[in-house]
Amino acid sequence: MAAESIDVAVVGAGAAGVATCWALVERGLSVRVFDGGLGATSLAGGAIDDRPWEELARAATTLRVEPLARPVGAEAARFVAALGLHRLGDEGASMPRVATPMGRFRIARGHDRALLDLSRLADGARVLVPRVPRAEWDADALARAWSADDYARARGFELVSMDAELTMHLGEARIASADLAALHDDDARVRWLGARLLELVAREGRADALLLGPWLGATHARAEALTQQVGVPVGEAMGEVGGAAGLRFEAARSRLFERIAVSLEREQVHAAHLDDAKVELTCESGATLRARAVVLAIGGVASGGIVFDPPERHAGRDAPSGVRAPFRTSLAAPVTLAAAGRVFDVGSSLFGPALEREAWPTDADPGLLECVGVACRGARVGARLFAAGDVIADRPRTFLEAASSGIVAADAVLGALRGR
Amino acid sequence: MTSPGEPVPRVSGRLASASAAETCDVDLVVIGGGVNGTGVARDATLRGLRVALFERNDLAFGASGNSSGMIHGGPRYLSADPEVTYTSCKDSGHIQSIAPHLLFRIPFLLPVPQAKRRIFPLMDAFFEAYDRYQPLKRGKPHARLTGEELVQLEPGLRGELYGGITFDEWGIDGGRLCVANAVDAHEEGARLFVGSTVEAIEHEGGVVRAVRYRDRGTGVGGRITTPRVVNATGAWAPLTASLGQLPPVHARVRPGKGIHVVFDRRLSNYAIMSETIDGRTIFIEPWQNVSVIGTTDDDYYGDLDDVVATSEEVRYLVEGVARVFPAVREARIIGTFAGVRPTLYEYGKLEDALSREHAIVEHAATDGVTGLYSMLGGKLASYRLFAEEMVDLLMRDRLGRPGAPSTTHLRALPGGDRELDALRFARDHGIDAIAARRLVYRHGARAERIGERMKRRASEARTVCVCEPVLEAEVRHVVEHEFARTVDDVARRTRLGLGACGGMRCAARCGAIVAEGRGHAPEVAAMDSLRFLTQKARTRVCALGPIEARQEAIAIASLRSQAGIPTRSRLAVVGEWAAGNTAVVNAAVGNSAAAASVSVDERGAQDGG
Repeated sequence: MAAESIDVAVVGAGAAGVATCWALVERGLSVRVFDGGLGATSLAGGAIDDRPWEELARAATTLRVEPLARPVGAEAARFVAALGLHRLGDEGASMPRVATPMGRFRIARGHDRALLDLSRLADGARVLVPRVPRAEWDADALARAWSADDYARARGFELVSMDAELTMHLGEARIASADLAALHDDDARVRWLGARLLELVAREGRADALLLGPWLGATHARAEALTQQVGVPVGEAMGEVGGAAGLRFEAARSRLFERIAVSLEREQVHAAHLDDAKVELTCESGATLRARAVVLAIGGVASGGIVFDPPERHAGRDAPSGVRAPFRTSLAAPVTLAAAGRVFDVGSSLFGPALEREAWPTDADPGLLECVGVACRGARVGARLFAAGDVIADRPRTFLEAASSGIVAADAVLGALRGR
Repeated sequence: MTSPGEPVPRVSGRLASASAAETCDVDLVVIGGGVNGTGVARDATLRGLRVALFERNDLAFGASGNSSGMIHGGPRYLSADPEVTYTSCKDSGHIQSIAPHLLFRIPFLLPVPQAKRRIFPLMDAFFEAYDRYQPLKRGKPHARLTGEELVQLEPGLRGELYGGITFDEWGIDGGRLCVANAVDAHEEGARLFVGSTVEAIEHEGGVVRAVRYRDRGTGVGGRITTPRVVNATGAWAPLTASLGQLPPVHARVRPGKGIHVVFDRRLSNYAIMSETIDGRTIFIEPWQNVSVIGTTDDDYYGDLDDVVATSEEVRYLVEGVARVFPAVREARIIGTFAGVRPTLYEYGKLEDALSREHAIVEHAATDGVTGLYSMLGGKLASYRLFAEEMVDLLMRDRLGRPGAPSTTHLRALPGGDRELDALRFARDHGIDAIAARRLVYRHGARAERIGERMKRRASEARTVCVCEPVLEAEVRHVVEHEFARTVDDVARRTRLGLGACGGMRCAARCGAIVAEGRGHAPEVAAMDSLRFLTQKARTRVCALGPIEARQEAIAIASLRSQAGIPTRSRLAVVGEWAAGNTAVVNAAVGNSAAAASVSVDERGAQDGG
């Protein structure tokens, strides 16, 4: 089978991959993108950051100031607008606040439009948290925890749980939250929900906002429609891993790709062979693709782009067959892995690293699982090989940072293809 | 030191203290909430003593809750220490009759490789000898198997197998056993101080007077007068002795660390014996709804409150089991646990060769302090007998003659008095049959009390932990009636959060329920659940495979996204910065993230790249 040929192949369709594609198309290059399955972006809960928010929050607490939204690069902001999924906080204004299932109101640089932004409520707002018979939604405990959050206290918010009938069938208590969200893709169902919420507001007398679980649509965020119908802001709390926010990202991604005429291949890429003139990708199905350059946007360990694969795993009854680095990329490619500023060489254990020391973040270190990735300069890994997003070693794992790195990669690719 | 059965040395001053004892707050202080401590507290309470028990961490925090989870007869001890095998088997039988709900049968397979075919008859004879002890604990006699039969029973076995032997043991949840003893003691009038550490054992003129203690949660201290103190603190025993100004070596143990590796499901039908590279016997056992590999035995010099397995120990065990059952290499490990055995002290012996006997130190004889005793050594399987011996001694010392005999082998532990049909329970309460089965396993007939809660408040029938599963009513029950104060304590009693998801789905909710039940603020709940999640992560990360590593990375990302990882701030210096405006905040954060290879401002990053 004769291999097709295009300008750039992008491997991975998370925040970094999609941003790379968008920026490459903006630069007039032809693109093919591969999606090998769920990555960190598809698993995330709907809040997006530029810097790790916990560091901002900690600094803000220490200094007793309200953190304000930093500027986002112009092109990154245009990308976010093109994707159409998130609302960014206004530059220089107070940052958005979203509710987390761990009972906090956390700052975010932006958020999925379905999420309720509590920074936009007036001081002393009364927020209703309806009881819904679902395992992830203990409205009483959540309302209690949110009420006790520092931000809620500072703003004088009152979070109140109350009975409500927001599900139609008994089985909806047990289905996955993403499936419940998908039910709200139906307009009639959303109107029904809006009517129930209206009743609730009427019964409660005073309501300044309604905070629900991550159930408001799988393809579109239905929060805005509900807000219009009910007359007060209606929105979601962040979801757990693998919830509706990830589905909405995938839907927004499909819409964007359709608009910019990029075709998404739902296939895992097994290998990237490079020579002086081209890159050749081999897919799971055996199909091959020729490109002038390739961008790896396969994500880190959480996405499966970096695989922890110590030699002891495949040893059977015998000792491991030889020493090698305990991590590899999910596709075979000429890359070097690094973590915490150190390149993985051959290793000094036949079995694997002392994970109890290195795997989880500690006071001193970010933790191997978070920082391991491909060693590169900017976006450049090799002559025709580039990287974007979480696959890059030692970078903060935030959405906006991943998107920006995709834009950087697009520029680097353009430079390389023009023979700079 | 006295071994069981030896005459107890008489100490002068006993009668003098007897009258003073009348005015004491309690008749006995037990230090340690393991199986020995709770066993003594229960036995002594049932014999009419006023008892207070102090536990520094949590019930079953140490060796009792981190054992292999068996009350086995110990065929291992049969040739060197047949007395241990006899007492273990006999007391196993008693435990079985007082807590039948907590026991489950674990049939063992001992594969015999071709290389050992010559000694097969010898092994057969050995287990024939062990068969004689089996009726004591209602065990089945052993069976001989051919190589083909062996593989038929356990298709995952590999290697050149000549044949095999089956034998019968009982599994138990050590945590539940301690809790059951503690609850029974408490209901009969004992005072329990869980989470309170003893700071000093006061004695005056060679007689114990009181203990001073401090609640480690609130920091509030107290003093309780008592004529007798039993040090049942396992591996902590020498530390505890020093709190009475005694030389620690007078309650010396040989602390032996043992770790276990937990898999996400039952990997085999039988427990399978294997040998490590240094010839030690280890096994993989199906235990409750998981499989467990155990165990190591290494001298331990570390922190007893913080014992965790290392990658290296995990590999040692996995390598050992992979010899006969290679599937363990590819199976998914969901955690490890570690504890320290309080083995009787001997210098110069290999860990495995140490005696599993138990002994009582009377500090009247060794240190001239009347009323102070240390319980050393022992096994889960014979804890009840050890406790009985301890209380016999206390009664003799108190009365000068044997007191009322122990009834702990006759009286059922809470929930063990009658059988409850789990399926009917599930139907009656409209809950999942598996949830009901697990609930009845843990609580026996007392599951009915949890059922009544759900009848009163239907919302308590909601599932908190999906993996185990655990219902809200059970969490509330263990907080209100079983001395659980944290998510970790709830996990120890219900196995909440110990399944494949590592508590990611349930810790926050459980923390909220615990805080509500104990009248704590929600931020206490958040801290408690975060602590649980990060602590449990530490027990998992030493045993990662490809899937586990990815799950762990997702867990870290998810925690970061929703709660922030509770590490000490790398921005501690920020407080010294004078200005209080946002620009400084951002500069500070920018500084800390200086390692970032790409900045949010893509133009700036290009320059940097």
